[in-house]
Amino acid sequence: MLNVLLSKVSIIKNSERIILKDIIFELERGNIYTILGKNGTGKTTLLKSLTGLLDKRIYSVKGKVLYESKDLLSLEADELQKIRKNEIKYVFQDPVNSFDHLKTFSYYFSLVTKDQEEINRLLDFFLLPEAKKLFKMYPYEVSGGMAQRISFILALLAKPKIILLDEPTSGIDAPIVNLLLIKLKEFVGDGNLALMVTQDLDLARNASSKIALLSDCTLSPLSSPEEFFHLNNIGTQV
Amino acid sequence: MNYILKVENIFYSVLQKNEEKVILNNISFELEKNSVLGISGESGSGKTTLAKILAGILKPTSGKVSYYFSRDFNKVSPVQILFQNTGEIINPIREVGEMLNESLRLGNKNNIEPTYLDTILDAVKLSKSLLQRRGYELSGGEQQRTALARILAVKPELLILDEPFSAQDYESQENFLNLFLDLKRNFNITLICVAHNLRLLRKLTEEVIIMYNGEIVEKNSSSKLFANPRHPYTKFLLKAEKYDLKYEDIITFPKG
Repeated sequence: MLNVLLSKVSIIKNSERIILKDIIFELERGNIYTILGKNGTGKTTLLKSLTGLLDKRIYSVKGKVLYESKDLLSLEADELQKIRKNEIKYVFQDPVNSFDHLKTFSYYFSLVTKDQEEINRLLDFFLLPEAKKLFKMYPYEVSGGMAQRISFILALLAKPKIILLDEPTSGIDAPIVNLLLIKLKEFVGDGNLALMVTQDLDLARNASSKIALLSDCTLSPLSSPEEFFHLNNIGTQV
Repeated sequence: MNYILKVENIFYSVLQKNEEKVILNNISFELEKNSVLGISGESGSGKTTLAKILAGILKPTSGKVSYYFSRDFNKVSPVQILFQNTGEIINPIREVGEMLNESLRLGNKNNIEPTYLDTILDAVKLSKSLLQRRGYELSGGEQQRTALARILAVKPELLILDEPFSAQDYESQENFLNLFLDLKRNFNITLICVAHNLRLLRKLTEEVIIMYNGEIVEKNSSSKLFANPRHPYTKFLLKAEKYDLKYEDIITFPKG
């Protein structure tokens, strides 16, 4: 069973400001889940909290994140790091700056796989330069849209069970979003699961199995896209 | 026709590893006063480069840009550009009021109208209480409004917006869209908006240019372009927005 269960997760910043309160939701394999919400409602914070990526000096996270009968929030650092490396991959917002600008891309690819054929297949699929050329490039030499695709490919190459995506479509044009979506559907079709936060309502509508809205520190129940857009008056105006 | 801008046969190329790479290939168009033009198209098709040439930041390799402004500005350009908000468009350690007053002095050397600050704050819907804040204390949206207020202070006639919606949530996108339309009406400004988001451009613009591989492949009134796209790439872009393309459809138009 590959399920993730968030049980009453609360996040407090600087021991005074409540960012999220008693978040409960369950994610099942084979699905793409989407969290929508306005700027500053804590979407990224929630996503980061799942695998302990928040700075403990600033944020205190309460509750449980159950994954394969383990509570991720109470794991030792090295065990959590193993899970982040192999099982739950996070694709960051601002992909260009999620790379060290002094290392070429060959470094990042060599960390996750030696399977050159698989790398070429994915680069080709995402209409990126071939490995020979790309591996010599530095992160500052690629556009935001390219960096976004490279981050996603690196996540896929690790063959994780879960991918977390933070605003995966910012800075990329619609045709490329289509590519991303095809791969993401393939990924969950193989029995994995994806959770993303986005401002792109069309992406949410077309990609998600279930959507939830984050507002006023709480998360609405997950509902199907049809139900969600029927219940929530968002997106009709834009 | 009452034009504010005429672009004739613009070429722009750079040297990349000793090879000439053409970024803009023979761009020509005209822009009517007090209208809104949208520029969209492929990532890397030269949209931002074109915006920078129009704003006078870059010089074209060849070709001509003529402006027909109604007033003569000596120091401050009547073309202003609102850069993409990356959290770096406002100096983090300066006070908002200080930045705006500086721009007001620049834009109105001899007679600063005392009420003009209120007018522009009102136009961009910034509260006066923000004047004492410093750049780092502003949210992304407030930074963008401050940058816009600073631009208004120098009374531009042509305002170029580079991806003004990309850092915004869906509600702010709508607010900004209305704000731009108000600026056009109340300040008699001509707008050029570079954006990926065709849905927002449809609401904002009167005319749209679609770029592909450094060229303009289609230019038409928004209503016609969105209802009856002619060029295959425009059709492709509009289809792609529904996010249900098959792989075979997507690779028809490989990246330039």
